[in-house]
Amino acid sequence: MKTACIENKKMSAKEIIESYKGKPLRIMEVCGTHTHEIFRLGIRNILPDTIKLISGPGCPVCVTPVGFIDESLMLALEHRAVICTFGDLLRVPGSKMSLADSRQKGASIKMVYSPVDALSYAKEHPDKEIVFLSVGFETTTPASCLAVKKAKADGIKNFSLLVANKTMPEAYKILKNSADAFLYPGHVDAIAGTSVCESLVKEGVSGVVTGFTANELLTALAVAIKLSEKGKPFFKNCYPRVVKSEGNIPAQELVNETMESCDSEWRGLGKIKKSGLKLRADYKDFDARTRFNLPKIPGKSNPACRCGDILQGKCKPTECGLFGKICNPQHPVGACMVSNEGACSAYYQYGGNL
Amino acid sequence: MCVGLSAKVIGIDNGMAIIDASGAKREISAELIKDLEPGDYVMVHAGIAIAKITDNDEDETDEIMESL
Amino acid sequence: MEKNITLAHGAGGKQTSMLIDEVFKTHFSNPLLTADDAAILQIDSGKIAFSTDGFIVSPFEFPGGNIGKLSICGTVNDLACMGAKPLYLTCAFVIEEGFPLTILEKIASSMEKTAKETGVKIVAGDTKVAGKGQIDNIFITTSGVGQLAEGISLSGSKACVGDAVIVTGDIGRHGCSILLSREDFGIETSIKSDCAPLWGAVEKMLEVTKTLHVIRDATRGGVGTVLYEIANQSNVGICLDSKEIPVSGEVAGVCGMLGLEPLYLACEGRLVVFAPMDEAEQIVKTLRQLPYSKEAAVIGEVTSEMPGRVVMKTEIGAKTLLPEPGGELLPRIC
Repeated sequence: MKTACIENKKMSAKEIIESYKGKPLRIMEVCGTHTHEIFRLGIRNILPDTIKLISGPGCPVCVTPVGFIDESLMLALEHRAVICTFGDLLRVPGSKMSLADSRQKGASIKMVYSPVDALSYAKEHPDKEIVFLSVGFETTTPASCLAVKKAKADGIKNFSLLVANKTMPEAYKILKNSADAFLYPGHVDAIAGTSVCESLVKEGVSGVVTGFTANELLTALAVAIKLSEKGKPFFKNCYPRVVKSEGNIPAQELVNETMESCDSEWRGLGKIKKSGLKLRADYKDFDARTRFNLPKIPGKSNPACRCGDILQGKCKPTECGLFGKICNPQHPVGACMVSNEGACSAYYQYGGNL
Repeated sequence: MCVGLSAKVIGIDNGMAIIDASGAKREISAELIKDLEPGDYVMVHAGIAIAKITDNDEDETDEIMESL
Repeated sequence: MEKNITLAHGAGGKQTSMLIDEVFKTHFSNPLLTADDAAILQIDSGKIAFSTDGFIVSPFEFPGGNIGKLSICGTVNDLACMGAKPLYLTCAFVIEEGFPLTILEKIASSMEKTAKETGVKIVAGDTKVAGKGQIDNIFITTSGVGQLAEGISLSGSKACVGDAVIVTGDIGRHGCSILLSREDFGIETSIKSDCAPLWGAVEKMLEVTKTLHVIRDATRGGVGTVLYEIANQSNVGICLDSKEIPVSGEVAGVCGMLGLEPLYLACEGRLVVFAPMDEAEQIVKTLRQLPYSKEAAVIGEVTSEMPGRVVMKTEIGAKTLLPEPGGELLPRIC
């Protein structure tokens, strides 16, 4: 097949991207890992001026509200629970401090690779209360659900989740006018399947399911460009080696069995109806909020921060007054500077416009 | 949002799989994938196999480009 | 019962002498190490290099080494980076009450072995004991002097446009090995720390070329941090070629699982060398014949573009900035 490409002088994905001369295109990569890889590979630097890549809200750390960090700090400092978390969350600022800061005050914070490891830790330390900070989108949620289901089956009494898991479909609808085409998050769709993204075509929303290697990112961009030129809303799965149209059904069933949909607060975007998950009543013993009777904590964020606009592609990180001044990766103010994957953090680290 | 790792399954036991990512090995949950066997490739995220995959992104992208 | 360090071992009396005699003198014995207050050293005419470094590492034993080996390599390598042959070291121990004597033995023995390999003598030392819980097991500080080779003047400010950037081996092993031993990520590898004394490598490089500009050991913060230091100190740009950077499969696998960048993982046995491009091939060839630098490679070059920044040529042939390192290295998962 490769030889055929050469013989026909067919353009490579990279050539299609570099030589695009059509009307201006706004393409949003929804997933934070896409943002990260696009910067790492220097893809922005081969784009013609007519293509604008916008970094969307697909970094769970970035969209996790301040109040969630405050809740985990309360669990760590007042209830003396051992907090198990992905490393990603450690530096996220709460109203007063981050989880990393709280270690100085005696909080016990343990980094884990998987929620299932947090459960194993709970089994090994029956004298301690273990809380796993359950954040993440469709991709990550099943791991939390698996841990909580096992905890229930094994009768574990000292393990709970502080849940802030989010789901993408409602967010897509809010973002639909922010871009001409979306690079859909490949690993979300590996779980969720492609039906939601496919049905968005009817609402005029275009996009391609995108993988994470250099080849896959370039190919998905080239496909998005080519199909945009045809002028009709489109959908294409450009990550078929991982994403099947039905998704991962056992994972969907597991999530449905343990969690249910709820309204959810997104840092920078505000409350979005039916965009979050909470544990079902059967699992309330494993819900840290119930277990520790946590009060509602309204987190305070800086009003000058423009993360909300940035997440919706309404402005670039460099257009925010705080960017690089009081807000940087060591002292992040807003959502998008928090995680390595956040749009502001990526802009900051990769020098804005190189 | 979701750092995924493509890795080879080298052992399966009781819902758990041992995966190998260029020499780094880890036990992960294989409960969400049916009929996984040693030699299969999986996408791993947060300690869980989320999809059975083919490991070659070049064949995949060649085919997509061909279909354009 | 197993013998442990007690506060009495640090009180300066009989038990202190016993500890010195039984552990340190046994291992560090040489005519210059006496019971007097300071060592008297003969220094030949010329210049000496003088450096010091403190070592805190958790865990204090790790695959490929321990804090003792690390403390010798650290100072030996700092001297070597200036082109100085390491001659004499001092070492100061702060040990936590209750620390097992057998492990202290083991640490001292590693120090002896590493010092011998490099031909450096431990000529003075000090031991203090801290109360239980006041420190984490054991801290070691080493200081050292080295004889500067004739006509050699290396500095981080001497990188020139057109220089090759050479790394003396595959990167990130130490950081990886420590991270996996410290945290409970359940990842199994055979990765060992690259911790090694590198005077031998520097000595051989100096034999084949007199035009080395910069040598620096990549420790905390990894090769990426060193490159930024040099780019700033020399006010030059550095352009790396991502496909030339040596990373072992296992380190790459761990980095893939945890979302880490190998360029920021610590090394303890890798040098970053800047020398004129036309000398690079000879230097790399020489390095590859030595035990700790078999994977030596040219990874980039010094440019006049974007002084103070490190640019990466990526696998798609585009250029992008290497993010400036900063803060604690955190695994990225979700």
